[in-house]
Order: sequence, then C-alpha cells, then structure tokens
Amino acid sequence: MTCAEFERVLPELGGSHSIEQEAHLKSCSACSDLIADLNAITRQAQLLKESEEPSPWVWNSIEVALRQEGLIRQPAPELRSTLAPLPGWKLRWLVPLAAALLVAVGMLMHERGTGQPGASVAKVTVPLPPSAEPMPSEDVQLLETVAARMPSMRAAYEANLRSVNAYIRDAEQSAHSDPNDEEAQRYLMSAYEQRAMVYEMALDRSLP
Amino acid sequence: MCRKQFAATFAIVMVLVLASFAADETTRKEFHFKVGHHASVSVINQYGPISVRPGPAKEVVVTALLHSGKVEVDQSKNGKRVSVLSHLLEGADADTGRVDYEVLVPTDASVTLHSTTGPLHVEKLHGDVIVEGNTASVEVRDVSAAHVHVKTLNGPVTLTNITDGHVEITSVSGDVVLNAVSGSLVNVNSSSGKIHYDGDFGNSGEYSLTSHSGDIEAIAPAFASIDVVARSVQGKVLTDFPLQPEHTSFVARAGSAFAGTMGKAASSVKLLSFSGKIHLKKR
Repeated sequence: MTCAEFERVLPELGGSHSIEQEAHLKSCSACSDLIADLNAITRQAQLLKESEEPSPWVWNSIEVALRQEGLIRQPAPELRSTLAPLPGWKLRWLVPLAAALLVAVGMLMHERGTGQPGASVAKVTVPLPPSAEPMPSEDVQLLETVAARMPSMRAAYEANLRSVNAYIRDAEQSAHSDPNDEEAQRYLMSAYEQRAMVYEMALDRSLP
Repeated sequence: MCRKQFAATFAIVMVLVLASFAADETTRKEFHFKVGHHASVSVINQYGPISVRPGPAKEVVVTALLHSGKVEVDQSKNGKRVSVLSHLLEGADADTGRVDYEVLVPTDASVTLHSTTGPLHVEKLHGDVIVEGNTASVEVRDVSAAHVHVKTLNGPVTLTNITDGHVEITSVSGDVVLNAVSGSLVNVNSSSGKIHYDGDFGNSGEYSLTSHSGDIEAIAPAFASIDVVARSVQGKVLTDFPLQPEHTSFVARAGSAFAGTMGKAASSVKLLSFSGKIHLKKR
C-alpha cells in the first residue's frame, strides 16, 4: 500500500485498521505521524469544557440583526427549526472534528498535487525578492574588492549591481523570445554595457 | 602687574588662534601649465568638486583647496598632457581627503574628470569631455563640436546645450536630463534612472534613449523631424503626436509600442524600456 492509497481511505477509517494499513503505518513514518496528529486533535477536543448555552434572547437579537441586513429571509420560527441541533450531537464536538477532517483533506490534496507519496514537508517555491537573490560569485568578489578599497561604497555598488543584473535577465528573456527582434538585441547590448561599466568603475585603479 | 597680565593674556589668545588655524589646515594651491592647441587635461579627485571652465588660450590653471594635511596634490605635465591627482594619505576620509578644484583650460582642450563624490561641472568647451563619477552629480553645458561621455553609478546627470557632437551617457540609477542636446549620436543608457529629453532632435542624428525600469519622457516641438520607434515591454507607451506610418518590421501595439515618422524623418529616435513608462510629448 502506498501513502496515496492510505490517505485516500483515511476519512473512512474508524478506530481500526486493516492488516495492510497497519503494515503501512509501521513502515511509513509520515502516515503514522499523520494518524498520531489526528488522534491528538480528537483527544484534545474531548477535553474542551462545555460552554453554557446562551439565553434565547441572544439568539433572537442575532436573528433580528441578520434580518435587518437582509441576510436571512426565512420566517423566524422556520429558521429556528432548521437550526435545531441534531439528535445525539452537541455543536461543540463538530468544530474539532471538522478541523481534523480539514487537515486530513488538506494533506490528501497536497500529496496528490506533488505526486510524491510519503512527502511530509510541503514544497512551496517562493520567489525571492530581487534584493535577496544570491549574486554570481564574480559579483561577490567584485563587492569584496570594493569593500576593501572603499568600504563606504559597497552598499551602493551592490544595489546598482543587482539593478543591472535584473536588467540583463529581462533583456536576455526578451532577446531569446524573439532572436530576430533587433530592438531586443540592442536592449541586451545596453544591459551588458551597464554591467561592464559597473565593473570598470569598481576596479578603476586611478582612484586611490 | 597689569602689563604682565595683559601680555600673558595676549600670548594665550595668539596661541589659541594659531592652534585653530593649524587644526583647520585648509590650504590653497595654484598650478600653471603652458600648453598648446588641443591639450589634454585629466583631474582625478576622489572626494570633492571639480569645476572646469574656459580660460587663457595656451595655459591650464588649476586651483586646489585642500581641506586637511591628509591629502596632497600630485601634478605632472608631459607634452600636451596635464595630469592632476588628489593623493590621499594614510587616515584620510571623505572630509579630510576632500579637495576642491577650479580648473581653467583652453576651449579646445579635452577634459577627463574622475571623482567618487563630486559634484562635477564642465562648461563652454569645444574639446572632448569625459566624466566619470560614482555618486557624483554631473553637469555639462554649452559644449559644441565635441564628444561628451558620462558614466555614473547613481549620480544624476544634466546636459544642457550640447550640439554637433557625440553624446554617450551611461548611468545605472542616476536620473539623466538632456536639455537642448543634439548631435550625430545621442545615446543614453540607464537601468533604473529616469531619462528626460527636451529638445528638437536636430536635423540628422541617431538618438537612442534606453532604460530598464526608469521612465522615459521626450518633449519635442511640433516641427520635429524624426523617425521614431518606442517600445516598453511592461510599461505604458504614449505619444502626443500623430505619426505617419512607415513600412517597418517593427510591430506596433497600442499602449506598449508605436512607430512612425514626423516631418521629413531627418533623425532616428529610439525610445526603449523594459518596464518604464515612455511618453513622447508635444511642447
């Protein structure tokens, strides 16, 4: 049994598991951790204290306010009858169980999305802001050189170098998308000239 | 006793005055160089302004104001080439290493200026002007029949009344302002700085204003004679002029690219940006 198959049948499980499911749980730490988490949620929910039912006057006030806003149109007696609690259940137990089911459904959907059974860590690619993107090694060396010669200028060089690298990235993308576009080629040359200029200024030995 | 007290007081005051002068250590130096036609003058000054103006026909006059004893001026002359360098001594910083230069040159002299902080100013010359500044603001005005090359990291650049020559400006994030600039080649390359052009684009020339994310604004008169192409990949492109369509491989797209001619299309104008806004305005 794979993790995907196990998670597919998870909502249907009661307190017992089949032999195949038990074997999978023993071999798969991700699924066993998931079951443990769900069981913990259920146990904690049972510890919640009963809250006192509010007085009928509170419910009436809420109903009047909702009607005034046009959010409900049913007559009050009928609405009260639809809101009557199901026999044998109390409202407070539904919330934690709903939360547990949401967690399980979320895990199932995520596993199907990644296609990697057993993956317990969500992989989400968050693009780094331009200022946080790692710089090429030659740029790092250049900045170290600038820092050694003119420490006060390091921040300015880094900011401008990042701006130029973004320029080059966009220009390369434009040029590659249409190699016959002369303007895009000119644009790319301009971007490279900027980078060459930054390097030249940083390494200019004429400035002591 | 009164005399002795007065003398002692006077002596103390004089010592204090002399001590204050010594601490200030501002020193003014002047250098004169005899040169011929088409001299080449180079000034390299890490901290402080450099101002270049026209002077006597065959002489270069350099006036330097040194702000401390931690900087000295190295100067040399080899043939028609004059070189002036601010030599920083140990412990110098942006304040103590500052030198203010006033330079008078023949109008046909070529001038090369390098500075980190500037500002840099050149005016009324007919010789080539090469200016390089990191954060320095650069101003060049009233230069004709010459090449003007400017490079800055983030220093703003202002060119005024530059005619009949080549103009090449490269600035990463400094704003570039061109007022009445025309010539056979005008090329501005900026990454994130804004480009503002106010002129008539001459009667023949190649004008290229290119930026990555900076906005480009070009203001031209109704009688301008240009063949214009404008494109921004992600920014808006606007024109106040009704352009005549021309046969070109350039693909025009409303709001992001346009191409056409005005008048006799004497000059070629390219306004290109990746994400900046481009606006060709009518004066």
